[in-house]
Parts: sequence; structure tokens; C-alpha cells
Amino acid sequence: MNILNNTYHEIIMLMSIGLFISTAEYLVKIKIFATDGLLSWNVMQIRWENSSKNWLAQTAFKFINPRGLSAIFVLRCALLIALAFAPVGSLNAWLCLTGLLITVLLSSLVTFYGSDGSDQMTLLIIVTLFLVFCPVGHANPTLLKIGIWFVGLQSCLSYAVAGLAKLFSNEWRRGTAIKDVFNTRTYGSPWALSLLNNRPWLNKFLCWNVILMETLFPLSLFLPFPLAVCFWIWGFTFHFLTAVIMGLNSFLWAFMATYPAIYFIHTQLA
Amino acid sequence: MKTEFTTELVYTGVVGLLLALWFVATVICQFRESKASNFIRHHLDTFGMIPLWTFFAPSPGKRDYHLLFRDKYADQTVGEWQQMEITEERKLWSCIWNPQKRDKKVISDVVQNLVSTMPHYRSGEGDYRLLMFSMPYLIVLHAVSLCKRVPETESRQFMLAESCGYIKETDPTFILLSVFHQI
Repeated sequence: MNILNNTYHEIIMLMSIGLFISTAEYLVKIKIFATDGLLSWNVMQIRWENSSKNWLAQTAFKFINPRGLSAIFVLRCALLIALAFAPVGSLNAWLCLTGLLITVLLSSLVTFYGSDGSDQMTLLIIVTLFLVFCPVGHANPTLLKIGIWFVGLQSCLSYAVAGLAKLFSNEWRRGTAIKDVFNTRTYGSPWALSLLNNRPWLNKFLCWNVILMETLFPLSLFLPFPLAVCFWIWGFTFHFLTAVIMGLNSFLWAFMATYPAIYFIHTQLA
Repeated sequence: MKTEFTTELVYTGVVGLLLALWFVATVICQFRESKASNFIRHHLDTFGMIPLWTFFAPSPGKRDYHLLFRDKYADQTVGEWQQMEITEERKLWSCIWNPQKRDKKVISDVVQNLVSTMPHYRSGEGDYRLLMFSMPYLIVLHAVSLCKRVPETESRQFMLAESCGYIKETDPTFILLSVFHQI
């Protein structure tokens, strides 16, 4: 039971740090939700026109404006801080998770453009935590294990799918994909590009390194501990470098939050 | 005591089943073009809870998108093309704190969505003019219409283009040219 609680504690802490940063980033950029902003509700509501008669949707839509969303984001930050101090499995922690889930679902009504894989992983973790710590289930060990297995397997699936999709791509197999991405102003950087430019062997090595390690990542659940650790260190390095080079800071926290679950599954299978 | 045990057991089973279904749905939805995937994404997944894990693949996203606009004035003359700044250089601390990524991701998602829906409108299946009523088109139009203008401005036209970034290996390519929209 202690191992289960410790695993959940680590998942919650890592996920919370990432979500706190991501939420604070939205608060800084709150103007994008204004009437004259990129994600103005005047335009974004078109997506929900079929739900306009639903009273629950109507209530939710009232929050979709800069003031309402600011309140949601501030509340989310407060809930994350409270969650960090609430004992894992306590009713207070579950209430914080419920609040978090509501705020995340509310903001997702308007952030379907602009959200990324880290947001999806975070949502997936929050829903899992909400379900397994619901007082009805009394946080029984079987339920807790199911939640950990789900998060760990989703994480392994994400790496495997990303790796296989790259394996079927000419650009990744040829070894040009990473240089091409680093060449963009959106996700690249001049210094990383200068390292790869005119070094086709390095490009090919990096592309195949990502393809193989991502595709084979689920093996870290079964491999002996020293080999499994190699995958996990690779995973951390990969996310750290994508944060530094590509600015994908929230991926580091969201995916690292799943590693305690992967480690737990590994210990169960060993 | 027995009732409590039964409730706990049933709840555990329900959560287990729910998470198993969620996992299976995630696997199915990785096959983007399949009918099942389309059904799940468009009819069941209201909150975007089914992730797509194919990061930067199969197409690694090797182009930068550019949003340009020009104005038509009351005297019917047309102004110069101006670029709406979407991408900006990242700072050293962007690996920890990077609020700018949101604007960039919004525009990038919207443009990619627009680009992916254009063939449908161009083909016999749809009227190309209906593209103007699509959500990504409206978001782009909304974004450009917010940029500064002079009082004489009557209408605005936008253009979407793509380029290959820092090292210009190919020329920028034109993607879409809108009609003039009254603003």
C-alpha cells in the first residue's frame, strides 16, 4: 500500500508542477481569449453550436471570457498547491482533483486549438486520479493498481506510436526530419541547427535513435532493471532536450509524471 | 459491511472497464484515417480525451507558416502586404517558462487544419467558397482583422504562405489567398 501511495505521490507532484507552469502561462496570455483575441469565444463557440440548448453547456459557456477563464486558472493554481499538501488518498485530495478536473474540462472548451500532447497526458492523469481516489472505491489496492497500469501503459503506447509513425516516414528514415524541424522558427533553433547542418551522419544517428528508442520503449516494462533504466534515462534526456531546443517545456513534466507508473509496473513484472 | 464491499467491488470493475475501453479507443484513434477513429473523435470525444500520439510524424512539420494581409482603402487603392508576427525567437528560459508557445501553437494548429480541409472544399465534394465558413478560416480572418488599420481601410485580404525556416533551401510557397473582407 505504501509503494502504491508513494507512486501516486510522485505522479501527482510531477503532474502538478507541469500543470501549474502551463496554467500560469495561460494566465500570462489571457488576452488570447478576449473578444479581440486569437481564441475569442465569438468564433470558438461555432464548434459548440449543437450544444447551445444544453443547460450544462450554457452554464459552462458563461465562464469562457477573459475574466471567467482568469478565475478558472487562478482557482486551478490554488487547487494544485492544496493538492501538493493534501495526503494522497484523502478526501481533501480527491476534492482538489475534482476541482482540477472541472477547471481542465472547462478550459478545454476553448483551447482545442493550441493544446498539445502534454495537455492530453495531463488530462488523462487527472481523470485517472479522480476515478481511482473517488470515495466510492475506498482507494482499494486493486483500483490503485488499475490506475497506475493505465497511466503507465498509455505512456508506453505514446512512445511506441510516435516511434512507429516515424518508422513509416521517409523523412525520418532518411535522417532529415530532425534537421528540418530545427530549421523552422516554430520549433527549431539556430544553434541546434548549426550543430546538425552539414553533418548527415549525426542527423541519421539522431533520427534512428529517436525511432528505435521510442518504438522499443515499452520493452522497459519487461527488461532487467539496468537495461530498463537506460530507456528511462533516454526518455528524460529526450524530453529535456526537446524542452531546451524546441521550447516544449510542459512535455517534460507531463511525461515524467508517468515514469513512476512505468517503474511500478516494471517492479510488478520483474 | 457487505454492501460497502460489494459497492467497492462493482466500482473497481466499472473503473477497470472504463479505463480499458479508453485505452482501446486510444489505440484505435492512432489510425487517424479509419472510420472508427473518425467516429470516436467526432461523435464521442467531446473534450479531446482521446490523444493522438504521433508527435512530429509521419510528416515532421518542417515549414513555418506566414500570415500576411493587405488593405483596400476607400479610394479603392490597395496597400502593401504586411506580415502578422506569429513566430518569435525563444529565450534561454523557454525550456522552463514559455507562454509564447500557445500563440504559435494556435496559429500552427489553425493553419494546419485549414490546409488539411482545403482539398475537401476544392474537390467536387464541396463548394470552395464554403471554406470561408469553416472555423479555421474564421479564426485566421478574425486574427488578421484585429491588426492595426487606418481609418480609410475598407476591407482586408489575407494570404497564407509557408517557408522552410532559417536555411532557405526552397522559396516560400503560397497556400491560400482570401477575398477582400469588409472589416
